[in-house]
Amino acid sequence: MKALVLVARLVVGALFVVAGALKIGDPTAFATEIANYRFFAELAPWLAVILPATEIVVGAALLVGPKKWQNAGALAAIGLLVMFTVAIVHVVRAGINVDCGCFGGNSGPVTAWTAVRDLALLAAAALVFRGTKEYAK
Amino acid sequence: MPSVIRALVLVVAGAVVGLAANAARPHGLRIAAFAPPTECTGGEHGAPTPAVMSATEASSLCGQANVVIADTRPENAFVEGHVAGAVHLPCDAGGKTADEALAHFSHAQTIVVYGNSTDDARPVAESLQRRHPDVKVAVLDGGFVGWSQAGLACASGPCADCKTSKGPLSKASNP
Repeated sequence: MKALVLVARLVVGALFVVAGALKIGDPTAFATEIANYRFFAELAPWLAVILPATEIVVGAALLVGPKKWQNAGALAAIGLLVMFTVAIVHVVRAGINVDCGCFGGNSGPVTAWTAVRDLALLAAAALVFRGTKEYAK
Repeated sequence: MPSVIRALVLVVAGAVVGLAANAARPHGLRIAAFAPPTECTGGEHGAPTPAVMSATEASSLCGQANVVIADTRPENAFVEGHVAGAVHLPCDAGGKTADEALAHFSHAQTIVVYGNSTDDARPVAESLQRRHPDVKVAVLDGGFVGWSQAGLACASGPCADCKTSKGPLSKASNP
């Protein structure tokens, strides 16, 4: 179980750092991609500036943070992934044809598989949170 | 400090870092001045770039069984007038809708996409090309305006079936 939690923590942490790093250099393009989701589009420029750095911080906490901060990082990752998944499900259900923007400019279109991938990451983050819950206080 | 507070600290720290990095950047995003796109956009993913086809060339393809003409304009514009024989595939049609269109016209080897202008139809054309790189996708030069002004063989006209159609794949009737 500990090995599984370790792998999940490293995978989620690394993906968050990579996703944030790929987007942080071009907030204007990312803002356009967020606006294309047509889901609180007015927040797009704020999210485009805030999200990549937040992903990097949360990913770094998961990768190299002390145990307490790993637990907090897992909780923050759960919150972010829930938000991403809701937006993706909205796009899939509405049939809007947009690029994901999840990992920068060449992330491919949003499909049901994008939601499945996010749910898998959500499960991994939940596993990390549960596996480190002794450090929650 | 409970984990929830630490999680909030991480999110707030990320937000502060992001805002500071953007402010420090010479060409950072101007948040207050950002205007959402008025057309849906699609990125490029290595698929061929759709060609621009002249109205004359497109008209020469009219009536060919393996050619589909798609109108990307809003429904009201489509109802008012469109290239005869065109299918309605608006800009905000989903990937599923685009796939259904191509499944319905599985014989298509060429798809000519048009909007009001040349650039209007590019996002849909790029999306179609990306999803189906084996099909030749082209953008009609000048869009519907150019087509109408040219007065070519495939005349534009009202869509008699649109009121009973069920959405973006409504097939236009010949005038």
